[in-house]
Amino acid sequence: MTGQKTLQNILADIISTVEFNHTGELLATGDKGGRVVIFQREQESKQQPQRRGEYNVYSTFQSHEPEFDYLKSLEIEEKINKIRWLPQHNAACFLLSTNDKTVKLWKVSERDKRPEGYNLKDEDGRLRDPSMITTLRVPVLRPMDLMVEATPRRVFANAHTYHINSISVNSDYETYMSADDLRINLWNFEITNQSFNIVDIKPANMEELTEVITAAEFHPHHCNTFVYSSSKGTIRLCDMRASALCDRHAKFFEEPEDPSNRSFFSEIISSISDVKFSHSGRYVMTRDYLTVKVWDLNMENRPMETYQVHDYLRSKLCSLYENDCIFDKFECVWNGSDSVIMTGSYNNFFRMFDRNTKRDVTLEASRENSKPRAILKPRKVCVGGKRRKDEISVDSLDFSKKILHTAWHPSENIIAVAATNNLYIFQDKVN
Amino acid sequence: MLGRGLKRKLSDYEENVAGLSSAFDSSRNLPYPLKRQLVLNMCLTKLQTYKMLVEPNLHRSVLIANTVRQIQEEMRQESSQPINVCTGITPSSHSYTGMESSGISLQLPSGISQQESNCCDLRSFPENTGLKLEDDRQDLKGAECVFGSFEISNSTSYLKDLAIDDIFEDIDTSMYDSDFCCPPLMPPRPPPICRTDLSELDHIMEILVGS
Repeated sequence: MTGQKTLQNILADIISTVEFNHTGELLATGDKGGRVVIFQREQESKQQPQRRGEYNVYSTFQSHEPEFDYLKSLEIEEKINKIRWLPQHNAACFLLSTNDKTVKLWKVSERDKRPEGYNLKDEDGRLRDPSMITTLRVPVLRPMDLMVEATPRRVFANAHTYHINSISVNSDYETYMSADDLRINLWNFEITNQSFNIVDIKPANMEELTEVITAAEFHPHHCNTFVYSSSKGTIRLCDMRASALCDRHAKFFEEPEDPSNRSFFSEIISSISDVKFSHSGRYVMTRDYLTVKVWDLNMENRPMETYQVHDYLRSKLCSLYENDCIFDKFECVWNGSDSVIMTGSYNNFFRMFDRNTKRDVTLEASRENSKPRAILKPRKVCVGGKRRKDEISVDSLDFSKKILHTAWHPSENIIAVAATNNLYIFQDKVN
Repeated sequence: MLGRGLKRKLSDYEENVAGLSSAFDSSRNLPYPLKRQLVLNMCLTKLQTYKMLVEPNLHRSVLIANTVRQIQEEMRQESSQPINVCTGITPSSHSYTGMESSGISLQLPSGISQQESNCCDLRSFPENTGLKLEDDRQDLKGAECVFGSFEISNSTSYLKDLAIDDIFEDIDTSMYDSDFCCPPLMPPRPPPICRTDLSELDHIMEILVGS
């Protein structure tokens, strides 16, 4: 994909999640410091067609603060693990944001008018002396500068013993789920003091624990169906109509191991870091350390498609294990029509795979190599032998520059890429 | 990071490990058992580090513990074959110097003849891998308590009957204490615990016989 590029810089904390809303007008980011920053797409204007639809900061607020659990002597990080938008029904927008322990529902609303002319208080808000009030008047709404407010509407706390890795809004828009390492809970948006536990894989004896939940998501159309992935590279599809506790899966997706690729690190690299339904609801995409796989919901014994993200790392696994990079959790996303999938890699590279043409491209999100409105140049990693000009060798890759979080606009070819503490937004070239 | 040269100070343990893992990745000539032992050492070191954290990462701990178990299972299966093949060595418990844990002990009894001991391939491993296996098993038991500590710290009832003391009692983590800087170059001392009836019996016999 060639792209006309718009560069957005936030020199702040490390970005930990990125998510477009359902129309693509808003883009939310969460960071390690517990902040949420929402960007809004500019309306297209005839006067400046080249600034078509750039994203500007719309609202910033502190979603989570660091907490201390006195009972267990643990500090609870304020880092935002995930943000999920609710569909918009009125002027206000709602989003869920979560850290390791607590989910919050935020209302983001605009205010561009304010009441003036109160009876009982003056313009500064001070109460007027009642004896001085001689007339009765009705306050009038007058325009003011646009103010965007974010208010916490619900706090869903104390339901997770382990660290929350996923939240997912149900298609009924009345419920959502939150998943931690061992359990998944179902919430009603209106009720904060209870939740239903729908999956529990905690063994009676913790020393027998061999598998954890790594990600979970509701089906986009069937409100009774959801999937969750595990550290053993498996996906389970569950139907909430079957029983209250969905410990028994309706479908179980697992690919048999390739014996020729077996290594000491086989299990670690098979751990799924992200799971996403396609927009159509027919497929599920999973990301493990080296690959992205697309599964057909009707075929459980192997994936439909497998894409190699950075297979040249297969011969570096011991070093990547030693420096913990092997545990990095990359996310993956579909484009609006489910024809292209995207995921991140190291050295600020990210990859796109066209499912129809089977072509793929590696692009880089970095300030040095890109200028605003320049076309992105495809990158190539040289595996061995002669390195051509412009290629980069595997040993020169910077493993501290990892792209874990990306997002794709729901209907247009606009992508958001988080590179550590920078956010890049790329758009398709306008012809 | 990756691709660094192998120039390193001996005193810098981390650089040592980085050099070793680079060697692991780049060299096809490293013998498989050595590679396996390297990975095992790295796993146990990580688990040991996690144990010191207030809240270890459960996901990582599970993955690493599974890797350790898998390696140890492989080692166990390998070691069980030569012992069965060797004549004169019966795998009955009284032949062994009574290690606490059940299963295969690679600590061959001292009275065994040289011929018989040579039939065990594992004896030719560098760094007396055999002894490590015992420590490793005990380490895994201790390391798996990473999950146990999750259970305990997250339990709402502190009055629950916890076998914590039992769990930690027989662990010998002297090999993997974090203040050691380099892989052991000499055979480490054997675990001090030999609490079987057999050793007591020997001791009693010595006193009785006066030898």
